[in-house]
Amino acid sequence: MATKINPGFSKELKKYGAVNMNACYNCGTCTAVCSLSTTDDSFPREMVRYSALGLEEDIKSSLKPWECYYCGECTANCPQTANPGELMMSLRRWLTAQYDWTGLSGLLYRSLSSTIAALLLVLAGVLLFANSVDFNAERMLHIGHYFEMTAIGAVLLVIFLPNLLRMWYFTIVKPKVKAPFKNYVTALSDLLVHMFTQKRYKECDGDVHFRWLEHFVLVIAYLSLLFTTVFLNWFGSQSIFVIVLGYVESFLIFVVTIDFVGSRIKKNKSLNQFSQPSDWLFVIWLLLMGVTAFLVRLFIDLGLIETQQWMYIIHLTVLAQWALIIVPFGKWTHFLYRSFAMYFLKIKSMQ
Amino acid sequence: MKERLGVYICHCGGNISDYVDVEKVRAAIEHEEGVVFAKTTMFACSDTNQTDMVQDIHEHNLDGVIVASCSPKLHLTTFRNVTERGDLNKYTYVHANIREQASWAHSDDKLGATEKAIHLVKAAIAKSRYADPLFPNQFEAEKTIAVIGGGIAGMKAALSLAEKKSNVILIEKGNRLGGHTAEWGSLFMTDEKGFELTTRIENDLRKYNNVTILTGEEVIDTKGSIGNFELKIRRQPQKEDDPMEIMELHVGSIVVATGYDHYLPKQGEYGFGTNETVITLPEFKQLVDKSTSKSLEFKGKKINNIAYVYCVGSRQSEGENTYCSRFCCTSVIHTAIEAKKKFKGIQNIHLTRGIRTYGKQELLYAESLQMGDVYLEFDEHTLPEIHTEDKKTVVTVKDILSAGKEMEMEVDLVVLVTGMVPRADQSIGSMLKLPKGRDRFFNEIHMKLRPVETVIDGVTIAGTCQGPKNISESVNSALSAATKSFSYISKGTLETEPIIAKIDQDACSWCDKCSNACPFDAIEQIEMGGRTVASVNPIVCKGCGMCTPVCPVDAINLIGYTSEEIMSMIDALA
Repeated sequence: MATKINPGFSKELKKYGAVNMNACYNCGTCTAVCSLSTTDDSFPREMVRYSALGLEEDIKSSLKPWECYYCGECTANCPQTANPGELMMSLRRWLTAQYDWTGLSGLLYRSLSSTIAALLLVLAGVLLFANSVDFNAERMLHIGHYFEMTAIGAVLLVIFLPNLLRMWYFTIVKPKVKAPFKNYVTALSDLLVHMFTQKRYKECDGDVHFRWLEHFVLVIAYLSLLFTTVFLNWFGSQSIFVIVLGYVESFLIFVVTIDFVGSRIKKNKSLNQFSQPSDWLFVIWLLLMGVTAFLVRLFIDLGLIETQQWMYIIHLTVLAQWALIIVPFGKWTHFLYRSFAMYFLKIKSMQ
Repeated sequence: MKERLGVYICHCGGNISDYVDVEKVRAAIEHEEGVVFAKTTMFACSDTNQTDMVQDIHEHNLDGVIVASCSPKLHLTTFRNVTERGDLNKYTYVHANIREQASWAHSDDKLGATEKAIHLVKAAIAKSRYADPLFPNQFEAEKTIAVIGGGIAGMKAALSLAEKKSNVILIEKGNRLGGHTAEWGSLFMTDEKGFELTTRIENDLRKYNNVTILTGEEVIDTKGSIGNFELKIRRQPQKEDDPMEIMELHVGSIVVATGYDHYLPKQGEYGFGTNETVITLPEFKQLVDKSTSKSLEFKGKKINNIAYVYCVGSRQSEGENTYCSRFCCTSVIHTAIEAKKKFKGIQNIHLTRGIRTYGKQELLYAESLQMGDVYLEFDEHTLPEIHTEDKKTVVTVKDILSAGKEMEMEVDLVVLVTGMVPRADQSIGSMLKLPKGRDRFFNEIHMKLRPVETVIDGVTIAGTCQGPKNISESVNSALSAATKSFSYISKGTLETEPIIAKIDQDACSWCDKCSNACPFDAIEQIEMGGRTVASVNPIVCKGCGMCTPVCPVDAINLIGYTSEEIMSMIDALA
C-alpha cells in the first residue's frame, strides 16, 4: 500500500518550531555525525525526510524523536542549515500534541496568546481563592497543600495515563508490534533507569558530561522537592532535617535553572538558538518555583508569612500555573514520554 | 641527394642514456656516408642545444639534420623550426625516435635497445639523403563564412564573425530567427524572456552591413572544401505557385548550428497522449508563460498539485538516449518556481533521478527547496507510474530517499521533463559528411583539445547540434566555433601541409582503387590528354597514405615518404 504524501505538513510543523527544514537535500550528514544514531535505528535524516513529505502516520508511530537528546551536532554540521536538531525538537512537541487526548497541548504549542490567556486565568483563580479565605496565610497554606496532592493525582489519572496509553497505541499496537506481557515486565527496569538517570543523554554530551550532570541534578532536586513539599509537608514541617532538605533542593533548582535561562539568552549552543515560548515557560517557571518555595519557607522561618501573605500568593500562582498548564500540557511531559519511549524501544527490541 | 648531414643523439636526461649506450650509437653511425659529424647531447630540445644546432648548420654547411630523441609527436616541429632558423628547408629535417621505440620499449635489454637505436638512426640517415625540400600548398580562400542555423548559437556565431569584420551569411530554414530559444518564456538567471533575448541579438546583427540574413532558405547541396565551399540554397516557396528559387553561395568556411529537437514521448509513455493531464516541459513553459489569470488553469480545470517527472527521453536504460540533456533540471525548477510565484495554491512535486543543477544553477534548487517544493527520487529500474483513479491522476513512485518506500500523490497536472534529441532532419550532416557520435549528435575531433572542429576541414559545429547544452553553453561553443572558422580564412589564403599524395598521371589508367581507399574523398577523376586519370585535391588530402599501396601500377607517391625514401630506410634497417 502506497503512502500518501502531504507536502503541506511542513507548514504545520513550523507552528511547532521547525526552522528551515525544507532546505534539506538529503545528504545524510546529520545521521552520520549523530552519536546516538545506529545502522539499524538511524536518525535524524529519516525524520527530516518524513516531515518534508508529510508522512504523519509514520512519524506518529516512530519513537525516534524521543531518542534524540539534542546535542546539536547535526545542526552544527548541516551544509544546508536545515537545522535537523530543531526539527527533532519540534517533532517532539508535535508528538506531545498528538498523544494528548484533550488537544490542549497542541493549542498551547501553536498559540502564544492561548498560553498567556491560560496563565492569566489561573492567576485569576488563585486570587479568587485567596479572596475567599480572606487572604489568611494559614488557611491558604493548608488548602494549598491539599491542592498540590489533588493536582498530582488528577493530572496523573486524567491526563497522563490516557496519553501514555495513546502513545502505546500509536507506537506499539497500531504498527502491529507483537510483544508478550513478559517483555513489559522485564523491560520495566529500563523505564526506571532512563526515567531517573537519563543515561542516554550522557552519550551525546561530549566527554565532560556537564550538561547531563546539570540536568540530572535538576531532575533529582525537582523530584525530591516535590516529595518534600507534598509528602513531608515542608511548609508545615517542624523537623529541622526536612526544612534544611527543602532549602537545599530549592537552592539547587535555582542554580541550575539560572544557568539554563542564561544559556537560552546567550544562545551559545545550537539547542538554544531557537527557543520557543514553551521552552522559556518551562525553565522560567521552574526557576520561579525554586525561588518562591525557598522564599516562602524563609518567610515562615522568619515569622513574616502572617503579614506578608503576598509571598505565598505568588508561590501558589506559580505552582498552580505549573501544575495545571506546564506539567500536563507543556514541556514537562518530555520527562514521561522520553522514559516511556525508551521502555517501548526496549520492548520492541526484545522480539 | 644530401651529402652533408649532422646527427644529434639525445640522452633525454637519462630516459634514453640509461638503457641505450648513446656513445656506442654515435660511434656506430659517425662514419656513415654523408655524415659530417655526430654528437651526443644531454637535452637536444634545450635552448643551448638549439642555438648550437643553428650554428653547426652554418659552420659545417649542412644540408640535412637528424635528431635521435623522443617521439616526433613531441618535438618534430621543434627541430623543423631549428633547421628553418639555420636556413634549411624544414621538411628536410628527419626525426628518429629512440626513446619510445628503443629505451622505453626495451628497458630490460640494454644491448638490444642500443642495437635497435643504431638501426633506427641509420634508417633516418638513409631517409635524410633523399629528403627533398617541400613547400606548403597555398590557396586562395573565400573570405565569407556561412552559418547554418539561426538559433541562439547561429546568431551569436554570426554576430561574433560580424564583429571580426568577416562577411557572414546566416542561413535559417524557418521563417524567423531565434530557434527554440525564442519559444521559451523567462530564462534563468536573467528572467529575460526567450524572444526578448533573440530579438536583441537579431537587432544587433542587422546593424552590420557585412551580415546577410537568409530566412526561409534551405541548404540543399554542398560541394568543395575548406577555403572554397559551394552551397546551393533553395528559397522555400512562400505560396504554392511560387517558382522554386535556387541560388549558389561561395564561402570559405562553414559553422553548423542546426540545433536539436525536443524529445516527444511515445504514445502512452507515462500516460502521454492517453491521459490529458500529462504534458511535456515545453508545453508547460508555454502554459505558465501565457496564463494571465491569478490561478493556473489547464483545459478549464484549476491546477494546484503538479508532478514533474524528470529525465523523460534522457538517461534511458532501455532506449537509445543514454545521455543527460543538461538543461532540463534547471529549466523545470526555474519554471516550477515561476509558476509558484505567479499563481495561487501551487504545490510542486519533483520526481527526479538526482538533481543536476550544476554551478550557479544550484541556487535555483536551493530556492525551490526553501519554497517548499518536494523532491522524490527514483532510479532507472523503478520508474514512476501514472494512472487514473476516479477521474483523478495518481502518481506512485518508490522514493529511494525514503528507503524505497512507495509514495502516492494525487495531482492535477503531470509535466514530463523532456530532453533534447538530435534533429530528425540530418540533411546538413549528410551533405557535409559530418561524423556522428554514439548519441547521434555531431562529433567534434576532441572533446577538450579541439572541441568545435570536425574532421571535415573548414566545418565547425556550434550549439546543440553537437550535444545537449543550455543557452550559455551554446553561446560559448558558438563563439569558439566562429573564431575557429574565422581563423581558417582570415588571411584570404590557406596553407596546407605539403606531405600529400601525388599521382604520376602518365602511369595512371584510372581503376578507382585509390579513390575507394581514400577516407577523405580527396581523389577525383579527371580527363587529361584524352585519358581518364586520378587527381588529388591537395586541399583535402591529409597525406595518410591509404591510397599508395593499393595502386596496381605504383603510380602514387606520398610526398615526404616516397618509395625511394622508404626503400632506403628498409635497406638500412635490414
